Amino acid sequence: MENDGRRKFLGVCLAGATVAAAGAAAYPVFRYLAPRADALGSKKLEFASSELPEGEAKFFEYAGSSAVLVKTSAGAVIALSAVCTHLGCIVQWEKDKQDFLCPCHAGRYSPEGVVLSGPPPRPLAKIPCSVANGKITVG
Amino acid sequence: MGLFKRLYDWIDLRIGAREIVKKELTGYLLPKNINEWYSLGSVLLVIFTLQVLTGMLLMVYYVPDSEKAFKSVTFIMNDLPYGWLIRLCHAVGSNMMVAVLLMHMLSTLMMKSYKSPRELNWVTGFILFTLVQGISLTGYLLPWSQLSFWATTVATNSAAAIPVAGPYLVEFLRGGKLVGPPTLGRFFAMHVAVIPVVIAATIGAHLFLLKRTGISTPPFGAQEETGHPWPAESYRYEEHPGGIPFFPNYALQDLTSISVYFAVFLAVVFYAPNLLFTPDAFVPANPFQTPAHIKPEWYFLANYQTLKIFPSELLGLSVQGAAMTFLALLPFIDRTPERNPLKRPLFLVFFLGGFLLWIGLTIWGHYS
Repeated sequence: MENDGRRKFLGVCLAGATVAAAGAAAYPVFRYLAPRADALGSKKLEFASSELPEGEAKFFEYAGSSAVLVKTSAGAVIALSAVCTHLGCIVQWEKDKQDFLCPCHAGRYSPEGVVLSGPPPRPLAKIPCSVANGKITVG
Repeated sequence: MGLFKRLYDWIDLRIGAREIVKKELTGYLLPKNINEWYSLGSVLLVIFTLQVLTGMLLMVYYVPDSEKAFKSVTFIMNDLPYGWLIRLCHAVGSNMMVAVLLMHMLSTLMMKSYKSPRELNWVTGFILFTLVQGISLTGYLLPWSQLSFWATTVATNSAAAIPVAGPYLVEFLRGGKLVGPPTLGRFFAMHVAVIPVVIAATIGAHLFLLKRTGISTPPFGAQEETGHPWPAESYRYEEHPGGIPFFPNYALQDLTSISVYFAVFLAVVFYAPNLLFTPDAFVPANPFQTPAHIKPEWYFLANYQTLKIFPSELLGLSVQGAAMTFLALLPFIDRTPERNPLKRPLFLVFFLGGFLLWIGLTIWGHYS
């Protein structure tokens, strides 16, 4: 047919316009539903040194995830991610044993986050922290 | 294109798709003198779908708790990417739904498509009209603003005028003596679960009846006389031999009307978003302070003004109840077979008079 070229061209234009409209509708919905980049990630947290006695651990939220501050018997303050590197459960601090135990599959970590036993493949992630003027600053 | 044809053939072999397309789309013939008003039904379907989709998206972040509701809506509007777009589509869409519904109802009345054998279509349509009013009323409370709270107080108070059961009915509606957290709970459940499901089911019934009876012929520009009574002997599908195929011809008209609707709808969403919001919509609900000049939404203004006119609230409610009942039962009251409104002067007078009265009451309600 003579008008076939014109018809095909219009068909392509219509298809293109439909795709563009669908994209224009889908993009805001995607942005609306997507998890937001947490502003907490860049924020620093402060704790009083007195909040953390020796040999004890304090759990808190950092960068949208669970974290832990531990003061070893030697007096060092370490900040670690409390998420077990095996399958994501939150580790517990065992005061009598002075280590971290994951309740899910019995993975064990030293106070520095090093894997002592069990299935975890990697040590607990370290979080930067410093102590000054009786304050512990994380982040 | 080869891939599409192969896919189509595969489906056709299994469910006879070509036969369905011929029966429901290309072979579905509509009267030659069909007009644009007949496409309002599909516009309403699109609006309803959009309301459901935007409503579902809002539910991801909205919290139906009286302490948190207003904050969650503010969060959606101000902090969430494109939250303002979703919320405005939903709020503007609800008003548009009522407006298009009224147009659909008026055109059905004008072209007498409620007459035999389409009484059930009219009745299901009327039920849908009531349900849409209900879903609008329940949705209005959810932002928990001053406007939401007090408009709901006024609206639920009107039931108190019903003798004997009135006051208890009001308490039952509210879940307490006054509008409060229990009201929010039950209105939320009604708005997101109960009423949408009932609306969907009623739309199903409405469309089934439409397809089973067949599309009516508009009384304007009809080839044959419009005054023939429907021979009530046996069921017969109203055919339109030699008519216009639904697909692609009238489907294009549907698409055109939907596009026109989107133009108007998006113009309001992007250029006049505060058209339907009063300042009280931006203040959290305060149960101890009723603001001055609380008014219902535009589609309830006529009802509101009617109640203000009559000295007794019961009388005002009864008059409105009678009018709605008359409208609901119209196909059973108006039985003459003539459908051309130009040949029915009495009907035309009532129709125009009623329409102007509603407009007048609405404008009066706005300024009173």
